[in-house]
Amino acid sequence: MLLCGMLLLYGQLLAQSKTITGKVTDESGNPVPNASVTVKGTSLGTTSKEDGSYSLTVPSNSKTLTISAVGLDEQEIAIGDKTSILIAMTHKQSTLQEVVVTSLGISRDKRSLGYATQNLKADQFNDRGQVNIANALQGKVAGVNITNASGGAGASVNINIRGISSFTGNNQPLFVIDGIPISNDVDRTNGGPNGTLGDNQPPNRALDLDMNNIESINILKGPAASVLYGSRAAAGAIIITTKKGSGQKGRAEIVVSSNESFQRATGLPKLQNEYGQGTNGAYVNSTGNSWGPKFGSKATIANGLLLASGDSIPYNPYANNIKNFFETGILSDNNISINSGDTKQNFSFSAGYLYQKGIMPNTGVKRASVKFGGNTVLRDKIKLGGSVTFTNTLQDGVLGGNGQSALAVVQGVPRSVDLQAYKRDKSWKNLDGTNNYAVSGTENPYFGVYENPIKSNLYRLIGIANLGYDITSWLNVSYRLGVDAYTDRRKQIFAVNSGRVPQGLTLDNPITRSEVNGDLIITAKKNDIIKGLNVSGLLGNNINQRRFQSVQLQGNNVVIPDFTNISSALVYTVGSQETSTLQRLVGYYAQASFDYNNYLFLELTGRADQSSTLPKGKNLYFYPSVSAGLVFTDAFQLQSDVLNYGKVRVSAATVGRDAPPYLLTGVYTKGSYGNNVAQFDFPLTYTPAGTPSPVTVAGFGASTRLGPNQPLKPEFTTSYEVGLNASLFRNRVTVDVAYFDQVSKNQIIDVGLAPSTGYSSVTSNVGKMTNKGIEALLTVTAINNRDLRWEVSGNFTRIRNKVVSIAPGITSFAIPGSAFTGSIPTIQEGSPYGVIVGGLITKTPAGDRIINPGTGTYLSTVANQVLANPNPDYQLGFTNTLKVKSFSLSFTFDFIKGGQVLSFTAATYKGRGMLKETAVDRDQPHILPGVVEDPNNKGTYIANTIQIPAQTYWGVLGGLQSEFNVYDATTFRMRDISIGYDLPHSLMDKLKIQSARIGVFANNVFYIAPNAFFDPQLNTQGAGNIRGLDLQSVPNARTVGAGLKVSL
Amino acid sequence: MRKLILFLIIPVLFSASACKKFLDVNKSPNNPEKVPPSVLLPETTIGIAFANTNDLDRATSVIIQHLAGTGTQSVDYDTYKLEGYFDNQWNLELYNGVINNLVKLIKENQETNPQYAGVAKLEMAYAFSMITDLWGDVPYSQAGFGLDYLNPRFDKQQDIYQGNSADGIKSLFDLVKEGMADLDKTSILKPKTDDIVYGGDMAKWKRMGNTLLLKFANTIAFKNPALAKSTIDAVLTANNYINSNSLDFQVPFGGTGNQNPLYSFNWVNRKTDQILSTRFLDMETKLNDSVRLSKFFTKPGGQFVSYDNGNTVSSPSENARSKYALFLTGAAGEAPAYLVTYAQVNFILAESALMLGTAGNANTYYQAGIRANMSKVGITKDSIDLYFATNPTVVTLAGTQEQQLEQIITQKYISWVGNGIEAFNDFRRTGYPKLALARNAAGHDPNTIPTRLTYPNGELQRNSNCPNPITRTTVKMWWAR
Repeated sequence: MLLCGMLLLYGQLLAQSKTITGKVTDESGNPVPNASVTVKGTSLGTTSKEDGSYSLTVPSNSKTLTISAVGLDEQEIAIGDKTSILIAMTHKQSTLQEVVVTSLGISRDKRSLGYATQNLKADQFNDRGQVNIANALQGKVAGVNITNASGGAGASVNINIRGISSFTGNNQPLFVIDGIPISNDVDRTNGGPNGTLGDNQPPNRALDLDMNNIESINILKGPAASVLYGSRAAAGAIIITTKKGSGQKGRAEIVVSSNESFQRATGLPKLQNEYGQGTNGAYVNSTGNSWGPKFGSKATIANGLLLASGDSIPYNPYANNIKNFFETGILSDNNISINSGDTKQNFSFSAGYLYQKGIMPNTGVKRASVKFGGNTVLRDKIKLGGSVTFTNTLQDGVLGGNGQSALAVVQGVPRSVDLQAYKRDKSWKNLDGTNNYAVSGTENPYFGVYENPIKSNLYRLIGIANLGYDITSWLNVSYRLGVDAYTDRRKQIFAVNSGRVPQGLTLDNPITRSEVNGDLIITAKKNDIIKGLNVSGLLGNNINQRRFQSVQLQGNNVVIPDFTNISSALVYTVGSQETSTLQRLVGYYAQASFDYNNYLFLELTGRADQSSTLPKGKNLYFYPSVSAGLVFTDAFQLQSDVLNYGKVRVSAATVGRDAPPYLLTGVYTKGSYGNNVAQFDFPLTYTPAGTPSPVTVAGFGASTRLGPNQPLKPEFTTSYEVGLNASLFRNRVTVDVAYFDQVSKNQIIDVGLAPSTGYSSVTSNVGKMTNKGIEALLTVTAINNRDLRWEVSGNFTRIRNKVVSIAPGITSFAIPGSAFTGSIPTIQEGSPYGVIVGGLITKTPAGDRIINPGTGTYLSTVANQVLANPNPDYQLGFTNTLKVKSFSLSFTFDFIKGGQVLSFTAATYKGRGMLKETAVDRDQPHILPGVVEDPNNKGTYIANTIQIPAQTYWGVLGGLQSEFNVYDATTFRMRDISIGYDLPHSLMDKLKIQSARIGVFANNVFYIAPNAFFDPQLNTQGAGNIRGLDLQSVPNARTVGAGLKVSL
Repeated sequence: MRKLILFLIIPVLFSASACKKFLDVNKSPNNPEKVPPSVLLPETTIGIAFANTNDLDRATSVIIQHLAGTGTQSVDYDTYKLEGYFDNQWNLELYNGVINNLVKLIKENQETNPQYAGVAKLEMAYAFSMITDLWGDVPYSQAGFGLDYLNPRFDKQQDIYQGNSADGIKSLFDLVKEGMADLDKTSILKPKTDDIVYGGDMAKWKRMGNTLLLKFANTIAFKNPALAKSTIDAVLTANNYINSNSLDFQVPFGGTGNQNPLYSFNWVNRKTDQILSTRFLDMETKLNDSVRLSKFFTKPGGQFVSYDNGNTVSSPSENARSKYALFLTGAAGEAPAYLVTYAQVNFILAESALMLGTAGNANTYYQAGIRANMSKVGITKDSIDLYFATNPTVVTLAGTQEQQLEQIITQKYISWVGNGIEAFNDFRRTGYPKLALARNAAGHDPNTIPTRLTYPNGELQRNSNCPNPITRTTVKMWWAR
C-alpha cells in the first residue's frame, strides 16, 4: 500500500534521545501495518511493520505521538516517561475508507470511485497451495469467471471479467504489475499432426508471477475503471501491487516462507470391474473397449480367451489401473524476501523457487524468480524508483489431443490391462524400441508421457523504472517505463515408433514476446477551488510496443531414436515456419476529478489511441468515460448506527479495441492441404517422370481470408453501470452491489463467406453483443473482539451474454481456434457467446428422439444445432474467516450454477464400456429411449421396444459429439481452506525472531457436481475464447499441504 | 510557468511527429501479398490431386465398393451417411485451394504469361468437371471471384458442360479449347519444374486438353450424343491425345509431408479405417484377375483379407487386412494421383465406338484399355499375354450392345481402383458394374446407392443460392442415363 502524504523527513540527530517501542493494533487486536507514528509537531517518525510493531527514537523532551493509518481514526498519545507504548486504534466509523490502486498505479480512496473495483489482500489468496495467481482468485471475486484448463501442472486459467465482449479478440483482462502492463498470453505450440489440439496445456503467463511477492490485487471490472489503460484493458484489468521495502530505517525485515503440499487427481469416475478388453463379449486384442468376456468366464475359442495353440489369455480386472496412472503431485514453494528502508529510501529483495511435480507422470513446473527493487527521494522533490524481476519457468508437459495421446488413451485403458506393469523397467517399449501395449495399434500411455514430451524453458525479465518530479506543491510530472520480455524455448518430441508420428518428429519452437510501455503523466491537484471543492487532473501519454516471434523448426523422420537434437531428422520442410508480429500504439489520456466536500465525486476521463493495426490515416480513435459517486449518508446527514455509510455510483464509459496486426490485406500463405488424417505441406520434393533426380518446388496460395473492403475501425464497448455501496451496523455489514449493461459493437471479425467465392471469410466490422449482469459483495463481521473475529464474505455474479447480430445474412460462425467438426464453439445470433454447435438427434414434434426401426439406434441427426451452452447461470462464492487468538481459519466455497460441458472424457468412459453403469445388466438387451414410427400409421410414433446389445446401446450414448455427452456443469466446491497459527511472542523473543506462523491448507478440497459423474469444471483449451469442451485433459487435482512463514 | 508549458508540449509534439513512422509497421512479415505464378501452379495442381485422393476418394471408393469402411467416417460413407461431410473438400481443397488460385493464375497471366493461363484453364476444366460430377449443379461461372459474387449461382450441370450464353456460362469444352489456344501463345514466363506433371512441355498439355475433351464428351454421351460424337470425331481426327501410359495426367507426390493421402491415411494415420471390399475381391476372383488385384491391394500372409460393405462385425487388425499397395501408395507415399489415363482413353473410345459409332473397333480399344492398365500397374507383358490367353471371354467383347457396355465399364471400373471418383462417375452414368446395396445402408435413402454427394454445411449456411434443403442423394446427375 502506498502511503500518500507520509513522506517523513529524518530528524536531526539529538544529543538526548530515547527509544520508544510498541505495537499498533486495531480495535480487534489485529496488527496495523504501515501506520504512521510521528512525534507531534516534528518530522520525526516511523511506520509500523507487518506485525504492527514499531520502534522510534525520539528526543527525550518529546511529549506526544501522533498515530495515523489509512481507514483508522488518527490518535494522539502522551509519551510521558514511557518507553513502551501499545496503541489501539479504531476504524473510522463513517467513511469506510479503503485505499485501492487504480489505473496507472494511482492510489485512490475507494470512496471517491464511481465504478466497481474489488480489492484482495495477500492473506486472502496466499499460502493456499496455488501456483497460478489466477487460480488463487477463484471463488473470491464478484463479476469474474475463472476456469482452469485442468489439474495439469502449469495448465492455463481462463479469466473473463464481466463476460465476453469481443467475438474473436482477446477477452482476457490486462495484467498490470506496479503500474506496468505485462503479458498474460498463452502461447500455443502448433506442431505435429494434431496442431494446437495436440499441444500440451500451456500456461497463461501469469504463472510466472511469484505470489509471495504480491501485496494486494485490485480488479478493475468495467471500462469506466480501466479506461485509462485504453484498448489493452478493454476486458478489464488485474492490478497487482507488489511488496515494497518501507519498513524502518536501518532495520531489515526478512521473511522466509515455505509451503509444501501434495496433489492427487480428483473427479475420476467409478468404473466397472466385471468385464475386460474385447468387443461383443469376445476378447479382441486390437480394441481399447472393455466389452469383452466377463471376468472369471471359462476360456473358449469363441470368446477369444483360449487361443488355437491351447494357451489361454490371463484375464483379470485391474481396478485402479487408470487411477494409479496419475501420480501424487508434489508442490514446494519457498521464498525469502528482504525489505529494508523507510518510505524515502528503501529496497526490497526477493528470491523464490517453486517446484511442482504434476499428477501426470513426467510433468511438472519449476519456477525460480529473483526480484530487486528500490525507491529513493532526492532533494525532496524527485522520486526515483524501479524494480527488476527475473524469472525462469520450466514446464514439462505431455502431448494431448484425442486419438493417439497419453491423455486420450489412458481414459480408454481396458479394465483387464495391468497398466502399471508397463511402467516397470520402461516396458512400454519393446526391445526393438517399438511400442508395447495390450491394445495393438495403440500407443501405450506410458510411452506417450515418457517418450513424447513437450518442454518449455522460459526466461522472463520484467523491469520497471519510475521518475517523478514535484514541480510545485500541486503539480507533478512523472515518467514510467516498463519492459516485459520473455523467451520460451520449447521442444516437442514425437519419439520414433510413437502412435501419431511413427517415424519420429522433433520440434524446436522458440517463442519470444516483449512489451515496452512508456507513460508520461502530469498530475495536478488543487484543493478548495471554491469552498469544499477539490479538483485534480491528469494528463498522460502512453507509448506501447508489442513484439512476438515464434519460430518453428520441425524435423521429421528421426534417424537416431532417443537423440532429440534436430540434426537427427531427415526432413525439415514440414511445419517449419516463422510467425512474427509487431504492433504499436500511442495513447493520449486525460482525467479530471472533482471532489465536493468528500461526499460528491465526479470524474471525467478521455483517451485517444492511435494504433498501428488500423488503416493509416484512420487509426486514431477517442473514447470517454464519466463516473460519479454520492456518499448520501454524508451529503444528507443520514448516518446512523444502522446505516453508517452509503454511496450510490453511476458511470458510463466507452473503450475502444484495435485490431490484431496484419488484417488489412489478404495474403498468400505457404501451401498446405488436409488435416490430421492426411496432410500435404509445400515445398514438394518429387521426381519428374523420366528423370533420375528429384526436384523441389514451392507452393503458395491465397489465404482463405480476404482483407477488409471497408477501412477497418476499432471495436467499441460501451458500458453503463450503477452501484450501491453501503455499510451497516457500525461497519459490521458491508454491501457492494453493481448492475452493468454493456454493448460491444463494430466487432472486428472474419465474417464467413460462401466457400464458392474462393474464400472462407472477409475481415469486417460487424456484429453486436451485449452483456448484462449483477454482481454483489456482502461482508459480515459476525463477531469482532480481541479474542475472536469471524467474518463472512460472499459474492454473487450473474451475467447474461447475448450475440445480438453478426452480419447481414450471417447468423453464426465458428470461433477461431481448434475444435472438432461436429462440436464447434460458435458465435450464434440470439444465443450466448460460445455455444457448442453440433448435431442433435432428430426428434418428433413432441420432442421424442426417433429410433430407426431397422437398427434400434437413432435414425438421424439434425446438423447445426446448439449442443451445449458453456455460460453459467450464476456463480456464488463465500469465504469464512475466523480468528481465535493466535489461530486463524479461512475457507472458501463456490457454487457455479449451470453452464454445460461437452465431455469427450465422459463419452470415452461410456462408449468403451468402462463406466460402472455399463456393466449393469450388460448381458441383457437394452432399449434406447425414444420412439419409432408406427408402421401401420405413418406420421405417428410409438414407444421404442427394439432391443439392442449393451455395447450398441452404450456406443450410442458414448458417441463423442453426442447430446448424451453434454453435462450440466453445476458444481459446488470447497475451493480452499487454510488454518494458521501465530507462534506466541514469548517464544519468538526467545528465538530472537519477529514472528512465525505455521499453517495447513488445502485447495480444491472437494466438489459436488450433481449432474456429472466427473468434474465438469474443466476447459481443455484453457485461457481463450473456446470454452465448454473437455477434450480429454488431465483431471483436476486436490492439493493438501502445510507451510511456515518466519519474519526475522 | 513557461517551463511548465514546455514540459507539457515537448513530449506531445515529439510523439505526434514521430508517430507516423513509428506506427507504420503493419505489413505482415509472415506472408507475402504477391507471389509469382511458379508457386501458384504447384498449389493448384497438388490441390486437384489431393482432393482426388483424400476424402472424396474415400467416400466414392467405398460407395462403389472397391473398399469397405471399417472405421470413423469411412463407415458412414459405406452406409451412405453423407450429409454433414465434405466441407473441407469443397471449401479448402476445391474452391479455395484450386479454383480461387486458378482464377488468379488466369487473371494475372493471361496477357504476359499465357502458357500459365492455358495450363490453368485446363486444370480448371478438370477441377470443375470433378466438382459437378460429384455434386451436380454447383457454383461455376461465378465461383472464385471473392466479393464480386457473394452468393455464387449454382449453375446447372448441363450448362456447365454445354454452356449457356444467356446466363454467361462458358462450357467446359470451350474452357478447354481456350486453354489449348493459350498454350501456343508467346509467354514471357514459362512453367518448368513448377509444372509438376509435364515439366513445362506444352505439347503434352495439349494432349491432356484433347483428352479432357474426350472425357467430357464421354460424360455427356447419353444426354447429348451429337455433341459427344462430333467432339470425339474431331479429337480422333486431330490425333493429338494421350496415347501412351507415359503421357497420363498424373500428379506426383513426395515423401514425408508431401505424401499421397492414399498412403498417409491408410498406412500412417488411419490404419484400420479402410479395407479391400469383399465384393470387389469376389469380382476379381471371378475374373481370375488376382495378379492385378495384388498390384492394387496387399496380401497379408499371402491372402487377400477383405470385409463386406456395411458389415458390423469386428474387422481384421491393421496388419491383417488387404490395403492399398505400392502402385497406389508408393513405398513411402510418393505414388502419383492417377487422374486422366491412357487406359481411360481406350475405354472411352471403346464405349464411343460401341454406342456412338465413332471411328475404330470397340474390342480393339477395350483390349488396349485392359493392357494399358495392366501394364501401368506393373504387370509384365508376358503375364498380360498369359492373362489374355487364358481368359479370352473376359478380354473379348461379346453379346448385346448392353452386355458389351457392361464389359467395358467393368474393366474401366477395375482400372480405376484408387480413383473412386471416376469409377463412381461411370457407375452412375451407365449403371455398371451392377452393385448391390451395402449392408445396413442408411442415409437419405437406405434403398438407393447415392447418386451424388451432399452439399456441405458451409456452403448451405453461407450461400443463399445453395439449394435448401440440400438435394437428396437419390437425385440423379443430369448426364446419367
